[in-house]
Order: sequence, then C-alpha cells, then structure tokens
Amino acid sequence: MRIPGHADDHRWSQQHLSHYVDGDLRPRARRRLERHARDCVDCARGIRAMRALVYTVQGLDGLAGVRAPASIFDRVRPAGGADSLSPRGA
Amino acid sequence: MTPPSRGKRAPEPAATDSTAAGSPATEAELVARAQAGDVGAFEQLSSAYADRLFMLLLRLLGDRAEAEDVAQEVMLRAWQGITRFQGRSSYFTWLYRIAVNEANRALDKRARRPAGVAIREQELLLPGSPADDPSRQAEVSELRLALGRALADLPPALRTAIVLRDVEGFSTQEAAEIAGVSQAAFKSRLHQARLRVRTAIGDEALVTAGG
Repeated sequence: MRIPGHADDHRWSQQHLSHYVDGDLRPRARRRLERHARDCVDCARGIRAMRALVYTVQGLDGLAGVRAPASIFDRVRPAGGADSLSPRGA
Repeated sequence: MTPPSRGKRAPEPAATDSTAAGSPATEAELVARAQAGDVGAFEQLSSAYADRLFMLLLRLLGDRAEAEDVAQEVMLRAWQGITRFQGRSSYFTWLYRIAVNEANRALDKRARRPAGVAIREQELLLPGSPADDPSRQAEVSELRLALGRALADLPPALRTAIVLRDVEGFSTQEAAEIAGVSQAAFKSRLHQARLRVRTAIGDEALVTAGG
C-alpha cells in the first residue's frame, strides 16, 4: 500500500477546507488536515481565508427588516370573491 | 465587524389564529383547515413565514420585482399542493423548498433570455458597523461589494447552497432538505460555491478585511 505523501495530503486538504471550517471532518481527517497545514503555507492561508469568507457571508444581513409585499397572496385569493380557487384534491 | 448571527433558524410555527373556542390554532390545525379548502387558514399559516421567504427570494434573485412575482407563484403552488403536504418535514421547510425550486426556475428562464437581468449585489449588503473606523469601514464595505458580485456570479445551485447555509444560517441537514439534495451533495455544492467566491475575491482581501 502506498503511503500518502505531501502532494496527496495537499490535494486532499484543499478539497476539504470547507468541511474543516464547518467542523464536518471526523477526528482522524481533521488531524490529517491540521498536521498538513502546519507545514503548508497554502493550506494554512486557505483555512484563514475560508474562515474569513464564512464569517463575512454570515454577516450579510442587509435585508433584515424587509417585509413581504401585501400582494403575496394575490394569486391565491379568488377574484371578485368567487370561490374559484381551491387546493388540488381538497 | 459585527459578529455574524447564527440564530437565523426556522421561525416559530404559526399559532396566532383563534378557534371558535378562543384558543390559538396550532400549525397542525391550520394545515388541516387549509387542506380542507380554507384559504384564510392557508394565508394565516403561510404569512408567518412570508417575510423570511421573501428575503430568501431577494437574495437568490437579486431583483425585487422578480422576487415579488416569484413569491406570488410560490404561494399559489403551495396552496395548490397543500393536500400533498404530509408533515414529514416542517411546513416551513416544505414552503422554502417550493421557493428554492421556483427561484431556480426563474433563474433558468432568465439565463435563456438574451440579456439576463443582472443581480443587484447591493441587495446582499450590510452597511458597515458605525463602531469601525472609516478606513476599516471602507475595507469591509469593499469586501462586501466584491462578495455580492461573486455571489451574483455563481450558478443558481451553488448560490442556493451558500445562501441557505451561510447567509440564512440553516444547518447542513436543513439546507440539504430545502435544496432537495443529499447532505453529501449539498456539502459538495457548498464547498464549490465557497471556493469560487474565495477565488473571485482573493485570500489577501478576505483575511485582511474579513478576518
């Protein structure tokens, strides 16, 4: 069996940065990535960048307080009070 | 920068109506009444989630007029399909899933048009925190602009993944359910989405302004 080398670890780590910052890796996988990132500038920077990205996206809340338009149920309400709409199968 | 809120989960179920006996109707009761053809019960049930659903559509579509149109279509489809709702997921999850499907349908239609409507990235922005100094504010504001543009450029499935998980704050399980894919597929989409956004913005800008 071939022992994974630096290149394998690097490729694998780059593919799992997102899972790592979400805490989705199993302990063994997490240790593998952390061990590799200690010696790999690219992956260490990748972890920091991915964390910063998630943090910033989570802060995108510029729509807080936006209200749905009053017209949102217009297509559900029967026109002119007629009972023209009903759920299918009701 | 203000720490992100991670409390943006599914809202509390609707329970604001009163039955004939005067006690508030539960969500299950409203579902049952809606399934029997009571449009008022359907509106009450769904209006509890209308604001959040509309915000999701704005984030996915980036265009207010289109979001309004799609929101109406979502409600129509939910009403027409309410008898098929079996309560295996929460009503909120079921409604959100319809919204994601309708938004993706609208984005597909838009992509087929010769001149697509560009997503207005400012729809996704948050004003800088007043506690930050001006140069820091400018840095963060620039980062958010770039982020808005990068999100707007993502294919719909990837944008949906990052909006549901990172902006809306759903767990992977909830977000996968809403997107209608397995958790493994969802994680893969989320990874691809983050990778593309990271590449578009650049590590240095992310770490300097966002870290």
